[in-house]
Amino acid sequence: MKYIFLVVVLFAFAKANAQGPPITADKPIMLGGGSFTAKTLTEIRDTERGTSVYVPIMLHYLPTSNSLFAVHIPYINYDFNDGTSGSALADIKVLGKYQFYRKDATGKTFRVIAKTFQSIPTGDKVDLLGQSTGFYEGYYGIVSGYETLKYGISTELGYNWSPEATVDEFRGKFGVGLPLLKPQYPNKQVNLYFEYTSSLFTDRDWYQLLYAQGIQYAGKNITFDLAVQLPLIQNLPETRELNYSVFLGTRYTF
Amino acid sequence: MKNILLIVLTVFMVVPALQAQKSYDQFEVQVDGLGCPFCAYGLEKKFKEFKGIKKVKIDIETGDFSFAYPTEKALTIESVEKQVVKAGYTPVTGRVVRFDGTVEAMKTAPKKETAVKAKNLITKTAFVAGNCAMCEARIVKATTDLMGVTTASWNKDTKMLEVSFDKKATTLDAIEKAVADAGHDTKNHKAHSDTYDGLPGCCAYERVEY
Repeated sequence: MKYIFLVVVLFAFAKANAQGPPITADKPIMLGGGSFTAKTLTEIRDTERGTSVYVPIMLHYLPTSNSLFAVHIPYINYDFNDGTSGSALADIKVLGKYQFYRKDATGKTFRVIAKTFQSIPTGDKVDLLGQSTGFYEGYYGIVSGYETLKYGISTELGYNWSPEATVDEFRGKFGVGLPLLKPQYPNKQVNLYFEYTSSLFTDRDWYQLLYAQGIQYAGKNITFDLAVQLPLIQNLPETRELNYSVFLGTRYTF
Repeated sequence: MKNILLIVLTVFMVVPALQAQKSYDQFEVQVDGLGCPFCAYGLEKKFKEFKGIKKVKIDIETGDFSFAYPTEKALTIESVEKQVVKAGYTPVTGRVVRFDGTVEAMKTAPKKETAVKAKNLITKTAFVAGNCAMCEARIVKATTDLMGVTTASWNKDTKMLEVSFDKKATTLDAIEKAVADAGHDTKNHKAHSDTYDGLPGCCAYERVEY
């Protein structure tokens, strides 16, 4: 924890010039109508209950400069301490975004979007939150972001509704992105991310505050991402506590 | 065999010559909202829909976006403006220099102005260092972005900025400072060297001695 704090302080004062898209948080910037982005963000999640490896293949399409439609097809492998294990298709997700506010200035922009995630119950009923519950879930949120050439800030506030399961959740996210190299185009950047996720599971009265430290290499239209997520606060049964998550991802826009 | 060699040689000589003769119009647009290098990629990608586009340059710090486009296609500055909007960004100023030397400017949207009383409106001139059309766009934008400024124009030959503004809302000194912050030396304010160094090559004017 002490080291995380040191890293935060160190890079808060580092000279920074530009950044790319966040890793575990979301962004409100859409890159031009008619474009596609293929992504993956593998999550290796280690909890007191066991380990899961979640591998989604994501295809994002922007019909216009202010709307997005996406499909996430995930594969999951899980191995719990009680002996339960398996490899299967997880819950397929359909994502929609609509940007309803934009304020631009030279080298900076502020945007706000409405966002929905619909989880289709195609996964095993293994209660892996956000990955494979085997129940329908609908997430509705607002994402805002202020991007400048010196830093990027993103926030998200939303609610996950699960009529058949007990995973209703108030979710809040806050992320800061800092680049380490001088801004240039074509893009060649190394970016650092400091991202917080706050989750209140209302049905279960569980609460988690997670911190993710991420690093990203961003080329002209491709990124490679790595993040480690650790719990800061956990108010849930000991057997369900998170030890850590590791995220490995890449995205390619075409 | 000799004939074939002759034909191949002729093709190799004529084709490049024909290509060299192809004429291009030069477009320059100041774009707001490029908050990250990925944004610039989104803009370039959208403009790749214009088949034949060449020499695409984007300066993400100033928002200066320029490219060349075949004259024969008669691309209008209005189409360029619309394409910037379709890419998800805001066109501020722009112009096209046609191959024959004629210049067409983008009609920018009128700024939301608070009512300026005629007795408060004054016009003044100030020296501003700069070189080219991109400098002009940057200087005019830095000036007109200020609250109280109603009109501004800069002459690249005389280097003089003529600006009309509400004397109750701003001052010539504040205007000169805003222009210096954008990278251009004035008589009373020097641009920061980092900002000056970040200007495109064509904008590298001779620094003012203080």
